[in-house]
Amino acid sequence: MSCDCGNNLKISDSDIDVSLLEPTLVKYADVSGSLITILQKAQDLYGYLPADLLMYISRRIGVKPAKVMGVVSFYTQFRTKPAGKNLILLCQGTACHVNGSADIEDAIRECLKIEEGEISDDGLFTYNNVACLGCCSLAPAMMIGDKTYGNLTKKSTVEVLESIAKEES
Amino acid sequence: MKISVGRGSCGNAAGAGEIFELLENGVAALGVDCPVSVVGCIGACYLEPIVNVLSRNGETRTFVKVTPDAVAGILQYVASSQQSAAAAFEISPKDLENIETQQRIALRNCGIIDPENIDDYVAREGYAAIEKCVKTMTPEQVIEEMKLSGLGGRGGAGFPTWFKWNAARQAEPAPFPRSDSCEQTSARHDGSHKALNKKYIICNADEGDPGAFMDRAVIEGDPHAMIEGMLIAAYAIGSDEGIVYVRAEYPLAIVRLEKALEQARTMGFLGNNLFGSDFSFDIRIKAGAGAFVCGEETALIASLEGERGMPRLKPPFPAQKGYWQKPSNINNVETFANVPWIIRNGGEAFAAIGTENSKGTKVFALTGKIANGGLVEVPMGQTIRDVVYGVGGGIKDGKNFKAVQLGGPSGGCIPAELIDTVIDYKALAETGAIMGSGGMVVMDESTCMVDMARFFLDFTCKESCGKCTHCRIGTRRMLEILERICGGDGREGDIELLSDLAEQIKEGSLCALGQTAPNPVLTTLRYFRNEYEDHILRKKCTARQCKPLLTYTIIPEKCVGCTLCVRACAFGAISGEVRKPHMIEQEKCTKCGACVAACKFDAIEVV
Amino acid sequence: MTNQIKLTINNRECVGESGQTILEVARRHGINIPTLCQDARVEIYGSCGICVVEVENVPKLLRACATMAADGMVVNTKTERVYKTRQSALELLLSDHTGDCLAPCKLACPAQTDCQGYVGLIANGEYGEAIKLIKDRIPLPLAIGRVCPHPCEDACRRQLVEEPISILALKQFAADLDLANGDVFTAEVGESTGKNIAIIGGGPGGLSAAYFLRILGHDATVYDAMPHMGGMLRYGIPEYRLPKAILQREIDGIEKMGVKFYNNTKIGRDVTLDELRGKFDAVIVAVGAWSSVGLGCPGEDLDGVIGGIDFLRDVDLNDKVFIGRKVAVVGGGNTAMDACRTAVRLGADAVYNVYRRTRNEMPAQEIEIIEAEEEGVIFKDLTNPIEVLGEDGLVKAVRLQIMELGEPDELGRLTSTPVAGQEETIEIDTLIVTIGQKLDGVGLEVLKQTNRGTIIADEHTFQTNIDGVFAIGDATNKGADIAISAIGEARRAVSVIDKHLKIEQLTIKPQYLVKTDKTEADLAHKEKEARAKMPHRPANERKNDFAEINLGLSEEEARREANRCLECGCLDYFECRLIKYANEYDVHPEKYEGKMNHHDQKDDIPGVHRTPDKCVLCGLCVRLCAEDVGAGILGLVGRGFETFVNPAGDMHECSDCGKCAEVCPTGALMKQVEGKAVPLKK
Repeated sequence: MSCDCGNNLKISDSDIDVSLLEPTLVKYADVSGSLITILQKAQDLYGYLPADLLMYISRRIGVKPAKVMGVVSFYTQFRTKPAGKNLILLCQGTACHVNGSADIEDAIRECLKIEEGEISDDGLFTYNNVACLGCCSLAPAMMIGDKTYGNLTKKSTVEVLESIAKEES
Repeated sequence: MKISVGRGSCGNAAGAGEIFELLENGVAALGVDCPVSVVGCIGACYLEPIVNVLSRNGETRTFVKVTPDAVAGILQYVASSQQSAAAAFEISPKDLENIETQQRIALRNCGIIDPENIDDYVAREGYAAIEKCVKTMTPEQVIEEMKLSGLGGRGGAGFPTWFKWNAARQAEPAPFPRSDSCEQTSARHDGSHKALNKKYIICNADEGDPGAFMDRAVIEGDPHAMIEGMLIAAYAIGSDEGIVYVRAEYPLAIVRLEKALEQARTMGFLGNNLFGSDFSFDIRIKAGAGAFVCGEETALIASLEGERGMPRLKPPFPAQKGYWQKPSNINNVETFANVPWIIRNGGEAFAAIGTENSKGTKVFALTGKIANGGLVEVPMGQTIRDVVYGVGGGIKDGKNFKAVQLGGPSGGCIPAELIDTVIDYKALAETGAIMGSGGMVVMDESTCMVDMARFFLDFTCKESCGKCTHCRIGTRRMLEILERICGGDGREGDIELLSDLAEQIKEGSLCALGQTAPNPVLTTLRYFRNEYEDHILRKKCTARQCKPLLTYTIIPEKCVGCTLCVRACAFGAISGEVRKPHMIEQEKCTKCGACVAACKFDAIEVV
Repeated sequence: MTNQIKLTINNRECVGESGQTILEVARRHGINIPTLCQDARVEIYGSCGICVVEVENVPKLLRACATMAADGMVVNTKTERVYKTRQSALELLLSDHTGDCLAPCKLACPAQTDCQGYVGLIANGEYGEAIKLIKDRIPLPLAIGRVCPHPCEDACRRQLVEEPISILALKQFAADLDLANGDVFTAEVGESTGKNIAIIGGGPGGLSAAYFLRILGHDATVYDAMPHMGGMLRYGIPEYRLPKAILQREIDGIEKMGVKFYNNTKIGRDVTLDELRGKFDAVIVAVGAWSSVGLGCPGEDLDGVIGGIDFLRDVDLNDKVFIGRKVAVVGGGNTAMDACRTAVRLGADAVYNVYRRTRNEMPAQEIEIIEAEEEGVIFKDLTNPIEVLGEDGLVKAVRLQIMELGEPDELGRLTSTPVAGQEETIEIDTLIVTIGQKLDGVGLEVLKQTNRGTIIADEHTFQTNIDGVFAIGDATNKGADIAISAIGEARRAVSVIDKHLKIEQLTIKPQYLVKTDKTEADLAHKEKEARAKMPHRPANERKNDFAEINLGLSEEEARREANRCLECGCLDYFECRLIKYANEYDVHPEKYEGKMNHHDQKDDIPGVHRTPDKCVLCGLCVRLCAEDVGAGILGLVGRGFETFVNPAGDMHECSDCGKCAEVCPTGALMKQVEGKAVPLKK
């Protein structure tokens, strides 16, 4: 498989090194039905899926841009805009809801001064509501990176965010 | 001696990681031969972190809610069998009984074996069932055994597992039997005929119901049970390829599953010519990308094929034309986890448990306003009361039980007066709720049922794929009506409008997501109509959950004029002189509740 | 080799082939099952949910587009359950469907004239087609094109950009051009039905009724009290606005269609209603409102006090009308302006307009007020006559109470109240009173009247209390209105009478239409373009004679003006399946009113005009582009309620085939055309 475009794709202000995605493309380009897997790998690599990258993937694997856009916009996991360094997944499952996840969301919003999907001023955080993290016994819960935080209160939520911010600085 | 630490997602979140490290370091420092291992979730999530110590004499001591301070005591016990120091952390007899009295089939190894060590599984008769199938049974006999067991799909609908397997086994490029032809859709797909006999086993681990985590616990705690179940299904239908479609939100489950698959391959339980036969089978993982609708089997297939997860019309059923147009059998994690037990113990043994209509056990994720939240596995035929007040230990904080919600956004609630309803597919369906995949959310007097309906509609509305009219626009309109009711703008006639729309959405929607989406509204309307009327006609939320309907007032007799509330109020809504009763200005009050939290004299009334 | 199968659909035995869907078999037997998302060229999809049917022994409703027909199947497409589900699907679709089925101008026209249509045809230079379209609704466009107060222009959305389209001037342009080409166009007369209808009154309502009756093949006979046909168009509108000769050409056209005219024949005097009822199959009463309402103050009986319409009629009938040197005209309507300006032309030195409010509140058209002022009319705003003073029985002066404006009343009109103690007296020779008209009910006593003295006619059927007698226009219900209202009523009454005569079931169901409110912001992107001004003769020249003031638009001006049209009405209206089904299933989507999706109009697909807010997400365009054309340009974006269709990638891959537009069941995708896209009924 060859590509006549360079390894670097100029995307807005930053270059994205598409060669990082090359092993994935080589592995999956000819395996039909691999679009979602490729997009997941690409998001892991670059943190999000810029439009130019999507066009590049579309060309490389021979899937029409309209279909790529359709898939990216269908699944909540995919982001076409960059996220903060720490992605907070706030559980809005039933158990969390009845145990006050709305208050936790308020705490995050107030603490970070952001709305869902936005990046905090320091670039450290983005939060997204998710349907259910599946740790209902810890409700209300949130996940930051691979770590799950349970039995949250407004206070403990702010403490978690502050301690991460402190570590980062 | 051996120490095991419960490290499911729940345990980790409760701090099990730190405890694990402290124990490992401590044991190393002691210099005793006592490996510290990881186990999955035993289900008693409310007791996490949980540490088990298996002593030399074979006795097990269980320590719960273990804090870093407790580790020293546990280590002391390990070193000297003296338990006084950690006694305070030992599990209570009542809690122990709750765990031990459950009848565990799907969860038989969870919390007991190290999920990352296949030897643990093998030691507990792991992979004996598939070996038995391959060596001593024909695929037809396996299906017959499944038929005897009466196992129904644990994903929610309870459709007989053997029937699906049989359909997939029988599936040929030829059309379905005549009797079903009235519902067949045209077959315009031109699937490749190259691999004519290709069939797929798909494990649906896209556990999406908010308030349910049975599948996560099984994969994290006992991945091989599911793998072995898939192997048996593959043998029965004649498939050589399996796929686990697992939620991306379950990173730990994916890691453990990957390890388990690798170990199974190494041990020769996956791969070619298994057990010296011509049966070959392997499994790969596909991570979901965040779409609840992909739990619907045709949408799941679309997603596996790299498409938008939009459901397709049935028939053709996946057993006829599924993944890449090939016969495909889809079961969920819990269903597969039951299979090895059934093969080992016989279908009849399984069928001996449960009721006339529902055989075996069912795993529930018991959450919400419950004292002992976690995973429980109970035989079919127990009552909801048994679960809530038995294993569940009753309602948290001594409040009154109001309802349980079963089946998440596709299910409904069962009110307190029906608490003696038996756990059985048919009995539950008669209440308007469903068995569902196992989410059991307990609600107390402080739960507003209109708000619950709104919550579920908000969920289905966000998760609707957008394909068919009734689901795409209908759920949105239902949500809007519920939002205005909760927001204090409910109109007379809204109840009728909601029920009419609910009926039409059930009639007109393409897939189960839409067809069941109105259930949370219909059941709350059925059992809690008065709450709707309170919201709409009297503009009151008796559960005090719907903020726009609440009024905060200061009870002058109780207020001492301490000014704490004045300082707590960010909106300047409270005024008054020091040491004199204060007042809340209703126009400025945003009903945030900060004053109530600040008041030490219980002087603020919310009605 | 296919197998024949037999099934029952709606109790009818139907033969199909195995492999066919229920929908296909039904269609083959002429049983129409509605669907928005099915097309034989693409795979079964089943999104719209409208094709549902009931099949015996199947508990769920099935989608006919997706269900294979089978031998022995018993299908029912017309049950209550099916109806309700289809209806709810349509209502839900419509609750998120934004647009305008019909343009505001057409909706505002009391005769529902397709203004957008003929304006578009003029823009495209198809003048002959334009006059045909106009005459589908207006039998007298030469007249109406000159005198109509044009509610269409008041509703025209172009005013949100700058000013409305000059729809009236364009109508006159098309009608004048038609006249210039020889005989005026008239619609084809229908095959004779042998039925004969009498029409009392030859004004715009009566003449129009005759015209529409002839189209349907009925005979029509018009009786009129005056020497000439035309009614108020002739006797109430001054020559300088509508030359009699031009009006006559139009009336001649109607006569040529075979309508019989009897002038100087007054009901109750020369002929009785009973006679007509006996001779004819039906009678239409269109006598108008020819009596002036009096002033109701002392001195109103003096010589020289005259009703406005009596005055205008006298001017037409008599060569000389004495009005003296000073004239006051009371009232603020169009008749008041007509009277003022006629008085100017008759040589009065001073013409006063007396009105209790100010010019801003006048019901008369602004252009009439402006032109009257140009011609020297003196506006006595905020005055009200309280006594007419006379000498020897002749008017000498009028006492005026000074008024002031107050708060708006419940209709939103500013109230006017007397300022205590302030009066003015002006000397006059004639006082013309134009404060209202009423029915002269002689000969029609048997017809029940409202308490305001008009004939009661059913608002939908125009039936009076007497069987076979219908009534329309100024004589009925709310009384005097504009000519185009009477014309609209004439057409609707004729269709009722037609059904009545053919003994057909009459169902009156209001048509469901999708409408949208737009604001200036919605149209901010439109480039401003000045409205065409009707050229007219200068004031100092025109005030001395009765020759027509307006000179008409040139062809160039007319086409440029017509091109300003925003084409608000849906270009797919006549083919749209959504609106067709909506009316078949009696929808009420307003109960589901809620959030609506919005995406701007775009022309991002080559050759296609795209209005995403009309999309019903049937997915046909996406599927056809991918499966049939193979281009895959279009895709679905997002999910759930927010899902929308969007093209992506390199548009060079688009073969410009237009199939997406062709297959779209609504007006969301339309093929682009040269000029205006004028949707017309096929």
